[in-house]
Amino acid sequence: MFEDSAFRLRIYDEIVRTGETPVVATLARLVGASLDDVRASLRRMHDAHMLVLEPTGEILMANPFSAVPTPFLAEVGGRRWFGNCVWDALGIIATLHADGRVLASCGSSGERMELSVSDGVLAGQGIVHFALPARQWWEDIVFN
Amino acid sequence: MLLFRSEEMVDRWCRNWGLPRGAILSPATCWTLAREWYHDRRDPRWRRRTVDEARALFNRLGLIEDFWKLN
Repeated sequence: MFEDSAFRLRIYDEIVRTGETPVVATLARLVGASLDDVRASLRRMHDAHMLVLEPTGEILMANPFSAVPTPFLAEVGGRRWFGNCVWDALGIIATLHADGRVLASCGSSGERMELSVSDGVLAGQGIVHFALPARQWWEDIVFN
Repeated sequence: MLLFRSEEMVDRWCRNWGLPRGAILSPATCWTLAREWYHDRRDPRWRRRTVDEARALFNRLGLIEDFWKLN
């Protein structure tokens, strides 16, 4: 049986190391496993709400990281990762335990916005809107 | 969860999507939530929070309205 917990960490390590979310074929090479074993492990984690897969079986979200570009870019130490939303972009900074900033845009006007974290303290303007009640978050995680 | 310049921008977004207004958080509260939620995501001992643990976290942050109820 493929060990999901260690594999999950390997996925995160690879995202942090490369700035990109690895595809199934890359993961199989990294851990020396078959494509089927990797897909099965990813599916188990998807079903357990530990990450979110595309319909193709590739990783869409290894929260807080997004595999695809979004309007929420987290920058830490001169390196950048996309977050799934503003909460997740801040979550990338939290995950990396570092100072950083979120480069974002207003959800209505598209104007550039920025939040920064220094010594654990956040600075920045604006407001955050959670559209869906918490109990519905996983019903439509992509919209959310 | 989106970032907006103002409450007027939130209302415009809600009108465009035909959705009621949800919950508004300050960026500082969202940062606290993000830190609490994600600080251990790369820890080997990480596991998904239980509903009770998530509820306790929301309560600690003062997120006690019906919007934040999990079941």
